[in-house]
Amino acid sequence: MTNRAGSRPQLEEKLTKFVPGQPDMWMFVLFESLLFTGYFSVYLVSRTQNEELYLQSQAALDLRFGVFNTIALLLSSWAIARCVQASREGAYRSALINAFLTVSFGVVFLTSKVLEWVNEIQMGNTFTSDEFFQHYFFLTSIHCIHVLIGFIGLGVVVYQLWSPVRRSQQLVETGATYWHTVDFLWVLIFALLYVVR
Amino acid sequence: MSLPKMKTTEPLTAPDPPAGSWVSRLAWNFRHHPKRELWFAWWVMVIFYQLYGVLFFFVTRVQPPPSPAWDTPTVTQWFSDRHLGILAGFGVVFLITGMCAPMNALLAYSMRRMSVSRLFAYSYLIIYSLSAIPGMLVMAIAMTVAALRPDRDPELIHWLYDFAFLSFSGTMGVFMIGSLVWMVAILLDKNCVFPKWFGYLSLCNALTEVVVAPAWIFHRGAFAWNGAIAWWINMVVFVTYTGVFIVLLRKMIQREDFGAGPLPDLPDKGVADHSDAAEAVR
Repeated sequence: MTNRAGSRPQLEEKLTKFVPGQPDMWMFVLFESLLFTGYFSVYLVSRTQNEELYLQSQAALDLRFGVFNTIALLLSSWAIARCVQASREGAYRSALINAFLTVSFGVVFLTSKVLEWVNEIQMGNTFTSDEFFQHYFFLTSIHCIHVLIGFIGLGVVVYQLWSPVRRSQQLVETGATYWHTVDFLWVLIFALLYVVR
Repeated sequence: MSLPKMKTTEPLTAPDPPAGSWVSRLAWNFRHHPKRELWFAWWVMVIFYQLYGVLFFFVTRVQPPPSPAWDTPTVTQWFSDRHLGILAGFGVVFLITGMCAPMNALLAYSMRRMSVSRLFAYSYLIIYSLSAIPGMLVMAIAMTVAALRPDRDPELIHWLYDFAFLSFSGTMGVFMIGSLVWMVAILLDKNCVFPKWFGYLSLCNALTEVVVAPAWIFHRGAFAWNGAIAWWINMVVFVTYTGVFIVLLRKMIQREDFGAGPLPDLPDKGVADHSDAAEAVR
């Protein structure tokens, strides 16, 4: 996945000075932010058209799940930030431990998310129940797909940190950037679905 | 025509075409230009997407999609309003379907030029050889049948309407897998055929292909086949993605040196203008 073998190392080095990891991953952050801005706008516009229904359905969500999920992901972001820092300092053992910690918090998030879905479905709130739950299941599912892809990214980070012959700091930081994006998107989804009334 | 096989550091360009009228230059390029097949496929791609947009949006007027919630009389009225457009437009669609072949071949070529296994290009080619079926043919057939048999039971016409739009909007698996194959190839590639950010854009495109799946369930709202999320946002992402890869493929052809190592960068602007002119005259 490295792009160091390319014929443009100078340009890339220049760009890399401005942002951590591959500058290309920051383009992805931009694409995803634009895309989710679109999804959020549709949600907010639909909400204004039927506010009562949205408020009623929102009341059926368990805020405790939302808060727990947010804390789990924020902790995972904190762990990946520590992983990057340790890796920069050459403390690869500590970096690996933090990378695994990130994966663990991610798994906690996913488990809690699935439990929340099961809970909602048992209460009769499904994807087809009403407009609010369409958005709820859509946004949380598409975010979960991002988390799953994030596990592949974290796998690359672990793979890089594992052996002294690899250890590309750029790839570690690229994986961390992706993971922070997943966290950043969740905070917005949490705010819009659970908090905004 | 023999092509140099060794790795070069400078982009390979054809010897300058002889001075003369544009017709003689065109003929010269047609016979001697080492990248003539690549440029042919690229132009087929540009023309195909132009035609695709014009035919679906302006001639047949089946896009942007109408409502899935309409009752049968409204649907039959919708068909009779578009009768001629559907026949003419989809007639041309049937004619141009074959253009998908060189287009997909060029996309697979980009993967063969990468440092990755041939498996990527072959997988892409195989899965995209199916793309015309959900991407346009099934819809074109269903719509043409409905337009040519207006005397049939209106319920059947309504059924064809559902069939056409669901097959068009609801079957994006082919495109999702194709985008993912391309993405992985780009991220693994060490020949710098495409910038890595395009790999990440492919991921965005693949994820929006998942989002259309709820169109099978809903008749109205953001997730129906004409919804803000399932159609409008997806269309913006798809058009952006397509525009970007057309430009990047053009750059790839300009940079192509027919070697096996990293693709060389384009020369500086002044030199580029000269070689562009030689490349572009066909």
